[in-house]
Amino acid sequence: MEALSYFLTAWIDPQLLFLVGLGTFAGIYIGAIPGLSVTMAVSILISFTFAWDVNNALCLMVGIFMGGVYGGSRTAILLNIPGAPSAIATALDGFPLARRGEAGEAIGIATVMSVLGGFVGIVALAVAAPFISEFALTFQPRDYMLLAILGILLVGSLSGESLAKGVVAGCLGLLIGTVGLDPLTAEERFTFGFVGMWNGISFIAVMIGLFGVSEALGQLQHVDTAAVKQKISRIVPSFDAVRKYLPLSLQSSSIGVIIGALPGVGGDIAALMAYDFAKRTTRNPEVPFGEGAKEGLVAPESANNAAVGGAFIPMLTLGIPGDAVTAIFLGALFIHGLNPGPMLMIEQPTMFWFMVGNLTLANLFLLVFGLTGIRIFTKIVEIPKGILIPLILLLSVVGAYAVNNAITDVYWMLGFGVLGYFMKLYGYQVGPVILGVILARLIDENWRRAIISEQESLGQFFARLFASPLSVSLFTLVVVLVLSQTPLWTWARRRRVRA
Amino acid sequence: MDLHTTHEKRAGEDLFGLLFLVLSVGMLWQSYAIAGFSALSSPGAFPLAASAVMLTASVIVVVGNLRRRRGIDDGPVLPGSVAVFVGLVAVYAVALGPLGFLLASLLFLFAGMKILYRGGWVASAVIALGSLLAIYVVFRIVFQVVLPEGIVPEREWMAAIGNLFSSGGTE
Amino acid sequence: MRQLLIGAAAALTLSAVPVLAEFPEKDIQGIIQWGAGGSTDTVMRAVTPAAEDVLGEDIVMTNRTGGVGAIATKFVQAQKADGYTLLMGAENPQLYKVMGLGDTDYSDFIPISILARGVPILVANADAPFGTFEEFVTYAQAHPGEVKIGSTGPGGLPSVITAMMTSQVDLPVTAVPYDGDGPALTALMGGAIDVMPAVLGAALENIRAGRIKALTVFETQANPVLPDVPPVTDAYPAFADYLPWGPFFGVFVKQGTPDDAVAALQAAYAEAAQQTDFGKLMDDRGYALMNMSGEEAVDFLNRWQSVTSWLVFDAGIAKRSPDDFGIPRP
Repeated sequence: MEALSYFLTAWIDPQLLFLVGLGTFAGIYIGAIPGLSVTMAVSILISFTFAWDVNNALCLMVGIFMGGVYGGSRTAILLNIPGAPSAIATALDGFPLARRGEAGEAIGIATVMSVLGGFVGIVALAVAAPFISEFALTFQPRDYMLLAILGILLVGSLSGESLAKGVVAGCLGLLIGTVGLDPLTAEERFTFGFVGMWNGISFIAVMIGLFGVSEALGQLQHVDTAAVKQKISRIVPSFDAVRKYLPLSLQSSSIGVIIGALPGVGGDIAALMAYDFAKRTTRNPEVPFGEGAKEGLVAPESANNAAVGGAFIPMLTLGIPGDAVTAIFLGALFIHGLNPGPMLMIEQPTMFWFMVGNLTLANLFLLVFGLTGIRIFTKIVEIPKGILIPLILLLSVVGAYAVNNAITDVYWMLGFGVLGYFMKLYGYQVGPVILGVILARLIDENWRRAIISEQESLGQFFARLFASPLSVSLFTLVVVLVLSQTPLWTWARRRRVRA
Repeated sequence: MDLHTTHEKRAGEDLFGLLFLVLSVGMLWQSYAIAGFSALSSPGAFPLAASAVMLTASVIVVVGNLRRRRGIDDGPVLPGSVAVFVGLVAVYAVALGPLGFLLASLLFLFAGMKILYRGGWVASAVIALGSLLAIYVVFRIVFQVVLPEGIVPEREWMAAIGNLFSSGGTE
Repeated sequence: MRQLLIGAAAALTLSAVPVLAEFPEKDIQGIIQWGAGGSTDTVMRAVTPAAEDVLGEDIVMTNRTGGVGAIATKFVQAQKADGYTLLMGAENPQLYKVMGLGDTDYSDFIPISILARGVPILVANADAPFGTFEEFVTYAQAHPGEVKIGSTGPGGLPSVITAMMTSQVDLPVTAVPYDGDGPALTALMGGAIDVMPAVLGAALENIRAGRIKALTVFETQANPVLPDVPPVTDAYPAFADYLPWGPFFGVFVKQGTPDDAVAALQAAYAEAAQQTDFGKLMDDRGYALMNMSGEEAVDFLNRWQSVTSWLVFDAGIAKRSPDDFGIPRP
């Protein structure tokens, strides 16, 4: 009963209610603009809200987090430029829908599924936080490594027409991800002696280049073709449609919660894994994946918003950040004199339920703000390309610059934009590159931690691996997925079908 | 899933595949240079593995390309407009530091819109200025993203504008 | 005539002073060496709003991460020495020279304020088969290579503390590197590593919850936040030579910044750090509040550099000798 009153704190206080709403609204736009990130916005808010009451600050930050994770889908669908890394998978099927004039419907589905996913995350947080966080703690370096390898196998789903080209692109991403000072030994890798390369190549610059700039360059040839008229008759998806995608949404959300709860792994990987899951499990989609399958929209959008609740699980129960944004939340709590850690739930249960309440509220606001204003938003696509393309390029430059305030990142962005243009031209997908960049450090560092822990002995490494049920399950999954992608498997299947 | 592309090949596709092959050889060599084969946990171990896989896949792509037939010519690979815009963005990036965000962006937007939109001078200038102001307000003022100042003394302007408003008050 | 001129000049300067000397005249940029949400970031974002109030202008803070803080350091060095660009950093630049990460350190900067110092402690997994520092040493010696100690890369706090320990006792442990103390402490709780030198503030809440246990504090006296944890000098008095030691946070400007700007900034940060809110924040987190500037801060920086450089050099994790840079042995 007491929990309920804490839960409702922000619901009945007009000021807090307003701040959650404002945050969610602002978050949608922060998420939608590539280069403005939730991480950036929330860390600015820390000093901005320093003098505020802690509750007010948290309400605003929670709103921005929830709205921001969702907002990335807007530009992904409308322009094929993911506003945030967690919306990369959304672009794969969302943009083809917009090209068919179904942007309104796509945004509608993305919104409803984000809200659904958000609720799954919140319920998991409210009901099972202590269990899930204990489970997340049991992940050893080798388990993270196996998880990341599972992730890299998504290349199979993202390669498009040629697996070999997908693998080339994925490996390129992995190598890009290792550029810079090695975080474990401070050894230089692929820096060619430049101090500017120590920090590595900004992941956001690569993303904006490969998606935003290459898309803008590709569109240049079609400047004079009229923009696709968007049908905006149906925005709110029908009840039948929601019911149809509900099972997939719930499964994707579960993936999102677990991935989100794992420290150091966030919504971007969750969304990609959910997309892969949808592609593997959906039998006979109405439209093939990559050409505008609704399932390809449902899965990542459910998963990335579910990962928000997931990321709060270790943060509120153990004081361990589930991702970059919750790390800043922890900082905010410190500054406001709270000591987040395992004792927070025991000493200040108010905080836990207050946050659960805020997240629920933000999620409701998301539904409202997400489904209104879509008509105006879809008009973006109808802006003459002659105006839109220079603007997209300008935003790309600003976005790439803003991440680290470095002009070098702008050059990288342009370089990857040109690379992306040619890759698309010659049938290479850019998705695997991003996937590689996201996962490179996860695989590299955890492999090395695991093998160092076993004193460089491969035998001992596998002995330990087979002694842990978690590692064995992950390992089996990896083996099955690898086999399913080899020609051998297809050959065996074809034979079986023929026989 | 097919291992190879099946559609007909475009001009330059062989070369592009070869470039990736050369790149992967280079990366393999550079990865080896990090730490050789010193230890399973060395900083070079993972880059070595990744570039070896990349090399293998590149070879498959190149061989696959050789077997495919050149398609009908479907337009230039690098149309003039793309080359022009790549150049424009490059110049913009170079000018960003010395000229500052406001001036460089204004010139870039104006040039870009003039080339593409083919509107009048006034229309292009108005749209460019309007959208630039909106972007500046969002990034610089609301989100405090510090953009290069260059020769535009914006912090002084902002302080002056601030003083204008506060002078009637407490000071 | 000459006197008249001097008088006139003096009058001019005097009358001009209130207009010209009013540093700051515009926004100030604060460049934070570490990422959003990290301890440097948190400390800087907590103390700066109060300094803004004193100065009457905004301090816009930006995180420029990378190269163990070298990217931010180099950036500030490339700006004008006018006091409008602050470097908000941690201890790392003091080790750049010996770690082969460049030739700058804080001697190229003027300290505005050394805000606080972290207290290093040694923590262990709650189930570890040892409960004190001495038991840990005995256990590690009996099981060579089996005890996994968390590390955050060469030059980080765990590597320096490990160097300190190995300079006094034989310690055959396996160092497992992590990205930072946060991920390493998580791994400690999950049992992926067994012990970990950490800064008290980062480990405190988990110690209080019993998820990890503190073996010893690297101080000459017990810390008021953890009165039951014995200082390392109880068992090994020789550690006193290195202490007090700890990572620190400070605000700096480039050498050559005009005195009035330095004075204005020093006054603003000194006042900001004195605020009770900030003091309480530091106390709760187990940081020792320092609020040092001027000569005192320079002395602190030099001593820190000399102690630490020689420690890491003697432990064999430095790339170059402190002698190459004229850093004296403590």
